[in-house]
Amino acid sequence: MKLEPRFLEKVANRAVKEGIADIVYSEFDTPLGRLLVAQSDKGVCLIVYPGENQHALLGRLSASLSPRIVLARDALAKTQSVINSYLEGRTSSLDIPVDLSLVTSEFGRRVLEKVSLVARGRVTSYGLLAQECGHPGAARAAGTALGRNPVPIVVPCHRVLPSTGIVGGYGGGSWRKQFLLELEGALPKS
Amino acid sequence: MSSLPPFWLLVEQHGDELMRYARRLTGEDAEDVLQEALLRALRSYPKLRNGNHLRAWLFRVTTTVAWDHSARRRRRPEVLTDNLPVKTIDPHHGDDEFGSLIGQLPPGARTALTLRYVEDLTYESMGTRLGCSPEAARQRVSTAVRSLRRRLV
Repeated sequence: MKLEPRFLEKVANRAVKEGIADIVYSEFDTPLGRLLVAQSDKGVCLIVYPGENQHALLGRLSASLSPRIVLARDALAKTQSVINSYLEGRTSSLDIPVDLSLVTSEFGRRVLEKVSLVARGRVTSYGLLAQECGHPGAARAAGTALGRNPVPIVVPCHRVLPSTGIVGGYGGGSWRKQFLLELEGALPKS
Repeated sequence: MSSLPPFWLLVEQHGDELMRYARRLTGEDAEDVLQEALLRALRSYPKLRNGNHLRAWLFRVTTTVAWDHSARRRRRPEVLTDNLPVKTIDPHHGDDEFGSLIGQLPPGARTALTLRYVEDLTYESMGTRLGCSPEAARQRVSTAVRSLRRRLV
């Protein structure tokens, strides 16, 4: 016998209301598949694509931020609506605060901050990004930092392409990168 | 840095057995009791020193909340009304004979007897769940049995 969703929802809502849930998360369907999204009081701190190890990633959140992690669908309703509006092409801005607490290296943080400045519809290369972070020649390290981006889509690591011009690799799979770049007009619709 | 798993994974893992346990201790009030227990556990969760014995810890918290709840119910003054008397049903234990026998005991004694004779736990397992030694668990059962005997005589 599993606990009833209605009961779990009641517990979660009270935890949020009483301010004892430090991180709330939820899963919802999007054009990119079912995403797990977690947020702290500072902003979205984790987005997990299907197929990634959700438990391990939530475990990292527990270790780095707080173990008071609660599944609370209602608390994520606004974030869910903003992400889906963007991915369905109904809005062109993804205005969601971000919490990069999971990023521990200074270089990694700088890379993600710089890539956040790449506008919708534009792309850059790993080499250029590394150069802008003050480390010309560290293209590979920039790629590694982007690969560890805990908040894909919102921090637009998909806007970085290899210098060869192909779409290149992506944590969620290259079709998702292609989808995002086409949605934003950086690539022609296939 | 914490080595504790995300709290909600514990709820998903142990929630159903905690609900069964709360039901045995407090009958139809189990949902309210478990809700309070989970919130109390969540409040203090980051203060735990390590991630060992989390299941036993959740059972202990549920036991404590169930005791508090039962104690509050016992303290609640009886309300006198002019309504016709209706048949009294023991809200804690329904039709279960053993449940109605121990229903009038203090919460601690009731829990001890439930764990020993309904859940069939060893004194060692009881100790883990109640946060005491196996010997202390044995004494609690023995005291509860004496108390029950007195009421039956």
